[in-house]
Amino acid sequence: MRTDRLRAINTPRRVEVELGAAGLPVMVKRCAVESVGEIWRIDDEWWRAPIRRRYVEAILEGGKHVVLFEDLITGEWWMQKP
Amino acid sequence: MDRYLSPPPTSCVAVCVWIPLFALRCEEAQRSELASQPSALLAPDASRRVVWQVSPLARQAGVRPGMTVSQAIGLCPALRLCEPDPVHYDERFALLLAALARVSPVVEPAELGLAYVGTDGLEGLYGGPEQIVEAIKRGMRNAERGTFDPASSSSSAFRVPRSAFRVGWGKGKFVAWVAATRAKPGGALIVPPGEEGKFLAAQPVAVLPLDPDAHRRLRQLGLRTLGQLAALPEEAIVSQFGRAGRRWWRLAAGATAEPVVGRVLPEPISVSLTFFTPVADREMLVLALERLIERALRHPRRTGWRVQAVRARAELERAASWLAEATLKDPSADRDHIAAPLKTRLAQAPPAGAVERLVVEFTAFAPGTAELQLFARDAGAAARAGQRRALRSAVQEITLRLKRPMLHHVIEVQPWSRLPERRYALIDYEP
Repeated sequence: MRTDRLRAINTPRRVEVELGAAGLPVMVKRCAVESVGEIWRIDDEWWRAPIRRRYVEAILEGGKHVVLFEDLITGEWWMQKP
Repeated sequence: MDRYLSPPPTSCVAVCVWIPLFALRCEEAQRSELASQPSALLAPDASRRVVWQVSPLARQAGVRPGMTVSQAIGLCPALRLCEPDPVHYDERFALLLAALARVSPVVEPAELGLAYVGTDGLEGLYGGPEQIVEAIKRGMRNAERGTFDPASSSSSAFRVPRSAFRVGWGKGKFVAWVAATRAKPGGALIVPPGEEGKFLAAQPVAVLPLDPDAHRRLRQLGLRTLGQLAALPEEAIVSQFGRAGRRWWRLAAGATAEPVVGRVLPEPISVSLTFFTPVADREMLVLALERLIERALRHPRRTGWRVQAVRARAELERAASWLAEATLKDPSADRDHIAAPLKTRLAQAPPAGAVERLVVEFTAFAPGTAELQLFARDAGAAARAGQRRALRSAVQEITLRLKRPMLHHVIEVQPWSRLPERRYALIDYEP
């Protein structure tokens, strides 16, 4: 298999998020968050470039289901399918 | 599909349509000069050339079916010998059957030139036996003129001298057959219900399905008519001739009426190959035969069904033809199994000339059990292979037009990873 021809899929996309008092998203791409579901954390690859993420499952206004994560190293928010 | 599972239609009352020397009549229809000369057809499937059908004029000269060519010519130097064209006869007979099927849905072909028509329930449509027989004769005449099908009105569907038709009506196939053999050429003989015994009693024992040895023994016993045979106790005949004797006695006494069993019409699968140059090499023909069988097996209509009857026909140079048919004892969807009887026939009685076009037809099918499932999977795999081929050519075309591959497929990279973007990736699609 030629790895140079591989294209990653489901790569995270940057997203604008407004946080509430609890540090959880209340607005995502100018769309209100109706409810927050599960929250989980991933710590990986600590032996080279550490990856630390806090995933948040949210339902937006209108019923859209999204999964967001906060890069705990940079503080940026991203959207990704779980 | 359900019709393969439903029982075939039957009829107790039968009309026997008989055209003696059907193949020879077909040749005479094509070559009118044959009618006025002693002529004979060569056997289509014999390894050595023997005479098959003999015209009345040749018979008068002493020529008999089964004679070698040298014997026949020795007896009748003016004899016109014809190469058989079994495909042509088959087509003509199929047209005859189609004409009969327009009168009744229950048609049973017995042999070339002989068919039974079931007439149960046709009274309401046509009337009494005379009207039914007349409808059958009319249907055959229309078919002869090619008038039942507007598309074929310009050419005759089949041409057999009208005087050749003989029609018999009676209860059961045997009575109808005997009546047809006793009918005048071009005429019909009706055996009214209840008079079967009386009619049969006067007939010679030769009308029974006897082998020559049994015929000789019956004559030695002084039994010349069916009446004499039926007058004996059934068990006496059984003790002499066994199970066959019981059948003869019951037929002779009119105690049994074998019904007409209509054909369950299959939807044949036909594939053909036209050679750029006529092929006489037997190995090449075998190869072509196998390839055609493979192609026919891949036909979607075949999926889920095993092949019961197969036919190979070849169009030869100089308008001749060759035909091989086989009914498989064990229906199969295996290429080699299906090809075996055809290859045997090809070896024993090869085409008389180079083959221009080869056709393989599956004419009857049987549902299977475990084997059926296997073949269904085979057919699925074949269909998938076809899809792959189509995709490959589509991908090549897209890449050519857009200068880059636009089709990809998903592969697993680290499916166990906790990071979603590491689990799967896209790769160019190369079918």
